Amino acid sequence: MPEALREVQRRFLAGVIAGDASAEALIVDDERVGARQRLDIYRNNYRASLIGVLSDHFERLHAYLGDEQFDAVAGAYLAAHPSGTRNLRYYGGAFPEFLAEHFPDDGELAELAQIDWALRSAFDAADVAVLDAARVGELGDAWIEQPLALHPAVQLLPVRFNSAALWSALDAEAEPPELALFAEPVTLLVWRGGQQTSFRSLSAGEADALGRLAAGASFTDLSAHVIERIGEAAAMEDLAAWLGQWLADGVLILAD
Amino acid sequence: MTESKTAPSPGFGLGLRPDHYPEFLAGPQPVDWLEIISENYMVPGGKPIAMLDAIRADYPVVMHGVSLSIGSDEPLDMNYLAELKALEQRVEPLWISDHLCWTGINAHNTHDLLPLPYDAPALDCVVGNIGRVQDYLGRRILIENPSSYVTFRSSDRSEWEFLAEMAERADCLLLLDVNNIYVSARNHGLDPLDYLAGLPGDRIQQIHLAGHSDMGDYVIDTHDAAVCDAVWDLYATAIGMFGPVATMIERDDDIPPLADVIAELDRARALAENVLEPVHA
Repeated sequence: MPEALREVQRRFLAGVIAGDASAEALIVDDERVGARQRLDIYRNNYRASLIGVLSDHFERLHAYLGDEQFDAVAGAYLAAHPSGTRNLRYYGGAFPEFLAEHFPDDGELAELAQIDWALRSAFDAADVAVLDAARVGELGDAWIEQPLALHPAVQLLPVRFNSAALWSALDAEAEPPELALFAEPVTLLVWRGGQQTSFRSLSAGEADALGRLAAGASFTDLSAHVIERIGEAAAMEDLAAWLGQWLADGVLILAD
Repeated sequence: MTESKTAPSPGFGLGLRPDHYPEFLAGPQPVDWLEIISENYMVPGGKPIAMLDAIRADYPVVMHGVSLSIGSDEPLDMNYLAELKALEQRVEPLWISDHLCWTGINAHNTHDLLPLPYDAPALDCVVGNIGRVQDYLGRRILIENPSSYVTFRSSDRSEWEFLAEMAERADCLLLLDVNNIYVSARNHGLDPLDYLAGLPGDRIQQIHLAGHSDMGDYVIDTHDAAVCDAVWDLYATAIGMFGPVATMIERDDDIPPLADVIAELDRARALAENVLEPVHA
């Protein structure tokens, strides 16, 4: 009884992704190339294409590590996390977490990878009507009582290192600054304006405010909280500046 | 003569690549239609979708997938099919294609076009899956011949015999990749003319032309170079046998300026015109 196709495929796959030699017995050997070298073509294609995808998705991490180290780290990730996704676009989502776990003494690696992945995710996130100045004008005063949310492209990333400055230098192909650990974590805001993805560092106050809006607070709820914390005059100044920027950048949407 | 299963050729096309978005947006290009890689647009939104909508307004589009995994001996991924169908509804493509291959099994995906044994169990598997996909999409799909580097011991027929039987039993169409025929023929010591002669010409809806890397003892399908002379010759033979078929240049790496790919496409036009001229004379 011939081996079932499913079993043939299980063995061939193990030959490609795990280097299992028993897969060679499935294929015709020949003197010119040979079964092992023929299977190696698939092994090499697999490794090169998935590491290539990780390099595309984590371009500044790659620039920071250099080719040799990136290849080693990406290869270790590939061995630990074979792709389970149908679309290559989504391969590598667990890479930042993998780096954090395996390189705890080099925390900036995971942070650079997080920034790369967040920007990649912002790039093709869903198109949802943003709350901008024109929309606020149409809605009148009613919007300030409505629960808000962050646009699907928006992410808040807490970082402990000057990873944002490292990323920007690497992106500009400039010499990265000296690595620095912050006394307090800083939150980065990632967003998409039109088709352009960007990020910036937030003050503690603005990070807290966006965290509240992400949890469904209305602008009225947020205002009350900020006034209570820093007093009316300072609150009005901060809120006006923040809101102007959020509306201009397309950070907010109406919840629901 | 039996009636052709295929639609009339829309002419000469190109694979749409992000490097060329600005030129397609800037003005009309001498390209009759475009092929998109379906998966690149199976994302929620942003620039890929905006570019697709803008360019689709000016060109007929065909959808070419790399993840259907029609040859995996396991149930089809219905989430993938639902996303494919949603994209189809957005794009309204002339047709949809994927490859004679499998990409993974047991929730592990290589994202490579892996080879199948050419035997009865694999044929049953592929025919069944194509039928289910065609029922789900409500249209015939095109299946492309792959480049391959191995022959399974259990194979008991040629790739072209497998394709011909598959197309007949599943009632699907074919996407003939002339470069892949050249690559597989070199890798397996086959005669590409036997391959062409064994195909059901009335089911060939589209042709791919591409470049490859010659490693001496074997050839790898890399799509990173211009179409070579041997593949042009094989294309001329194919057009002579099958008549006018929608033809495109497929370039996936080391993407040159659009003008260079259009020059290759013009060569395909001129070649096809030259081959077909005596027929119309």
